[in-house]
Parts: sequence; C-alpha cells; structure tokens
Amino acid sequence: MAQGSTNAALSPWNVVALDTFQTPERTQASQWRRSWRAATTWMIGKEASERQAKQESELRALPEVKLAHVAPPIDWMPATERLKQALKGYEDAPVVLFISPPYGGHSTVVSQWAAQQDIPCLTVPTLKELVDGSLAWVEDATQLKRWAIPALEYHFLRHTNGLQSVRELLERALSGRLGQSVMGCDSWTYAYLQHAVGLEGVPVLTLQGLEGEQLAHYFSQAAGECPTVYSTRTGKSILTSDSDQKEAYKELQRLAAHCRGHLGIAWHYWRERLREPAEDSDSSDNNGHKCSDKEDSDTSQELWLLDALAEAELPTDTGDLATLLLHTLLIHGGLEDHALKHVLPFSDHESLNARFALARRGILSSQQGRWQVAPLSYASVRQLLESRNYLVDPL
Amino acid sequence: MEDQGQYAKLFNEMDSQALITLGLILVSTILLIIVSQRGLNWVANRLHGQVRFRVFALVPLTRLLILIAALAIAVPIIIEPSLRNMVTLLGAIGLAIGFALKDYVSSLIAGVVSAVELPYRPGDWVNIEGTYGEVKHVGMRTVEVQTPDDDLVAVPHLKLWDTAIYNANNGGTSLQCVASFYLHPEHEAGWVRKALRDVALTSAYLKFGEPIIVVAEEKPWGTHYRIRAYPVDPRQQFLFITDLTVRGKAVLSAAGIQPALLPPDAALDARGAAS
Repeated sequence: MAQGSTNAALSPWNVVALDTFQTPERTQASQWRRSWRAATTWMIGKEASERQAKQESELRALPEVKLAHVAPPIDWMPATERLKQALKGYEDAPVVLFISPPYGGHSTVVSQWAAQQDIPCLTVPTLKELVDGSLAWVEDATQLKRWAIPALEYHFLRHTNGLQSVRELLERALSGRLGQSVMGCDSWTYAYLQHAVGLEGVPVLTLQGLEGEQLAHYFSQAAGECPTVYSTRTGKSILTSDSDQKEAYKELQRLAAHCRGHLGIAWHYWRERLREPAEDSDSSDNNGHKCSDKEDSDTSQELWLLDALAEAELPTDTGDLATLLLHTLLIHGGLEDHALKHVLPFSDHESLNARFALARRGILSSQQGRWQVAPLSYASVRQLLESRNYLVDPL
Repeated sequence: MEDQGQYAKLFNEMDSQALITLGLILVSTILLIIVSQRGLNWVANRLHGQVRFRVFALVPLTRLLILIAALAIAVPIIIEPSLRNMVTLLGAIGLAIGFALKDYVSSLIAGVVSAVELPYRPGDWVNIEGTYGEVKHVGMRTVEVQTPDDDLVAVPHLKLWDTAIYNANNGGTSLQCVASFYLHPEHEAGWVRKALRDVALTSAYLKFGEPIIVVAEEKPWGTHYRIRAYPVDPRQQFLFITDLTVRGKAVLSAAGIQPALLPPDAALDARGAAS
C-alpha cells in the first residue's frame, strides 16, 4: 500500500486543472542562475564560467541504439488514461481544453483519447482556408455530437481573417450548439486565444509540473534497468537516492526547474545531454582523482549528463525581428516558412533571414516543415520573452 | 579694511594640503560622475522592460548624490561651517546669482528638482513645447530629447517651472499609440469597429493586458476612427502605428469601405469658409 502511494506520488502523469498547476521548486532560482550564467559567460568566457567535474572532451555521444534503450520516446498513454479519468468530472461541459507547452504531448494525448473513445477529430484547415477566413472546416463539427481537436494551434492564424474561423468555432462550441468536444491546445496558443477570443469559464486541464525526484523516477523506469548516471557538473550520481534524498536529486531538480516541470522538454534535455566515456579516457577527472561517487561502479554502464544550463543562450541584445519571430512561432505551435508573411510585419526575405539565422544557431528546429523553438532553447526563449513583456503561456 | 578682515575670517586657511584635498575631491567627483553616468546608461541600454526604466531613473539621482557628497566634504575644508558663516556666504552667492546667472542657476536647480520629482527620466517619451521624443540624457542643466527624426534637442530644465511636460509612458513600459482612419460616412460602423479591434489583436507588436479601444467620432466629412492600443515596447510605437495603419487599410479596402472623400482639414476649412 505504502509502495503504491509512493508510486502514485512519483507518477509524472497527474492531470490537474490549470489553476492548480505549479512549477517545480527553485524555478525562480533557476531563472536567476540562467541570467547569472549568461553574465559570467559574457565577462569571463564560456569555458571559465562552467566549473566541471568531468570535461566534455572526455565523453562522447551515445550511439542511437543505446540512446533508444536508455531514453526511449515518451509513451503518452498513461497521460491519456489520466485524462480519460479527469474528463469524467466534466461530462456536462461543452468544451474541455487540455493544454501543454511545446513538446508537451497534448496533441498525442488527445488523439489517443479520441481513438480510444471512437470520437472523430476535426480536419486541420489549410493555410489558404485560414487566410481566406473560410468556415468550411467549422461546418464539419455541426454534423457531430462529440468530436475532438488534437492541436487547436493549427486551427488559427494571428491574422484578421485567421481569427474568424476559430472564433466562430469556439463561440458555437461554448454555447453547446456543437455537442461536446475535447481540444488539445498549445499553452501559448491558449494564452493568445484567451485574450483574442475569450475563453472564460472553459475547463482547462494540464499535466502537473514535475519535481526532480519524479524525473529521476521516470528516467529510471523508462530505461528498464537503472543506469548509473553522473553529473558532469558535480561528479555525483543523479538517479540514485542512497544519501540524503534532497541532495541526491538536486541535479535533476535543477533540470526540472530549468524545464518548468515539463516532461517533454526535460526528456529532450535527457536525450541530448547524455554522454558516455570516450574509449581513450579513463574514469579519472582532470586532476587525476577519482570522482567520489563512482569509485566502485561498472564503467561500461556509466553515463554522464552534461550541465543542462550549458546551452546556447539567446544574447540579451537579441533584436526585435528575432524576438517577434520567436513569439509568433510559439503562439502558433510552429509555422511553415510560407506562413510567416501572413503573421509578421516584415517582408518575406526579412522574416526568412531571421528564421535562417535562428535555425543556424540551433534556436529553432523543424518538425514536418514547421519551424518551432527548439526544446533545448525553450527555457531561455521563454525567459527572454517574459523579460520583454511579451505575452507568455500560463505554464 | 575691517570688512575685508571679517570676510577673510569666513574662510579657513588654505595650505597646500587643503588644496590637494580639494583637487582630489574635484577629480574624484568628476570621475565618479562620468563612470556612474556612462555605466548606468550602458547597463540600462542592454536591459528591457521595467528594469530598464528603473536603471535609467538612477542616472540623475546618482549624480545628485555624488555632488551632494562632494559638497559636504569640500565645504568644511573651505569655510568654517557655522550658521553665521553659511548665511553670509549663501547671501553673497545668492546676490551674485540673482543678477548675473539667474536662468543658468534656475536650470541647475530645476535639474535637482527633476532628479527628485522625476517628471522625465531617460527612456521616457516626452513632449515639451512641441518637441516630442525619447529622453536620452538628463543633464545638470538640460534634458536631451531625441526626436523620431533623429535630432537631439537640448531642453533646459528651466521649462519645468512654467511649461506642461507631457510624459507618454512615465517611467513605465506602457505607451498608448493611436492609429487614425478617416472613412466615408456610408458604412456599417459596428463591423468596422470589430474589424479594427481585430487588426489590433493580430498585431505582432501588441502588448496584452492593456486595453484596446476603438473610438468612432462622426465628422462633417465622414467618420473618424481611432485605434488606441499599446505596443510591447515604447520604442516600437511608430512601427506599431504603421502596422495598424497598413493592415487596417487592407482590411477596410477588402471590405469595400471607402475612405473619406475630403481630407479633414480641407473639409473643415471649406465648412468654415461657407459659414
């Protein structure tokens, strides 16, 4: 029983109302740390500002096969099950929103839920339909009693015509004329639509933010047999809890705070920042001393996690063009190149040049042709936008 | 001879050590002012949002504090700081200023008042007697305003005493912008109002959390619409107004709404001439 309650407490799949969402402990401290790191990097250089117990040069990236084993793709099915249970409390609501930040899995979860319930999903309108303000795709919903939208962010455009159809859909749906629906929505789109269309009184669900211990539990479980993972920053094991628990999970608490408790983002860090010792390096640190926690461990199973904060940060003098582009991409859950001209007050080539520049620096990444803020840049981009008074998501 | 002796008693004996100390105070004050002004401006120009304005507000205040501290250290070296001595000295200085340097000193005093009352601070967008622009530097005697045409205008602080200072953002990040549309009287006003609100809502520059208001006013030549909204950063105001204007025109034109036939000034002139 006690084991069961512990597992429940460590589950990363708690679906909660938006009002009760909480970022992990030390989230604010993580933002200060990021600013401090940026300042010290600027003053004394990147190398000097990063005190490491293990140098990155002694490590190498994991082969794809091993990575797939140690950090397999997230299976969102448990979240779908928890959403199904949570929706039982909203059977009378005409619309329920399930929101998550980029890479947070709302689209997959709602798709899986709809497939389980045998509920049709509305087709995504084309860019032309959105720019023309066509209501044809909204009419599809009038024939249905129950329906779902996995990703509402693809059903609107920040454009005078692009708002019309989603406004029409939400007005009809909220009045109950379209039966019942569940909509997955990016948290940034939700923030925007709340102002542009108005979503007062709509039940909004989300996944609760994860603490470091929950992340440790998830990564251990996902890898099957628990690997021994050390922090390159401290040289200490980060998944085990032999010593004082708070101290043991401190590194993953840093990661959780950095990712604002979002599993999707944390998983990308985990996958991208895991390393194994290079063949020609021994297990000693750069001073020739063994790291304290790993003296007796099996080096074949030994993995290292690079410092989460040692990522390419956006410079503080990032210009308006880049900032507006980043904000626009987040609000739309990513955009294709040819859609940029409809939503940005710049010429085609200006928008594309800015997009190219950000993509070259690894700030943006492309998924199925849509450019979105890369998962490892998300935290710094969000902090930058918040510091400049742009509308940010509630998560 | 007796008077001369009395005035001489005001001042301490100035030996070489006192002169060196005064020199050091003078040099240190100048250096501290230069370093603090440039440093704070440098930092503020690299910040955004409210923090930027807070750091800018420290610029004149820091200079004032340094000057007061320097005077507090230097004056006792020059004169014996008794009440009688101070009254005599200030009286003599006041007399000289009253005749010769009235406006100059008035500007300096207004500069001190401006550092305390903060009617403007670097980063603010102000209008002083028709000069509109961003406050770049609040000096001891003048405030430097950079206009949208990139002219740097030095306005003496003296204006504080008898001129209205219009401050558009008052040390904050909220600056209201107005985009005007002049339309032919025959149109569906309700639709135009909604469309113009959507134009503001879909602007990339829009600051959320501030109101968006569309004001309609009937005129003899048609209807004058104004979108009142706020950009994310006050420095984006002209880009924001341009964006609202360009996209607003496109939306109205696509809906077949005609602009007013006569320019407002011409229409009003014609009306005035007729009456």
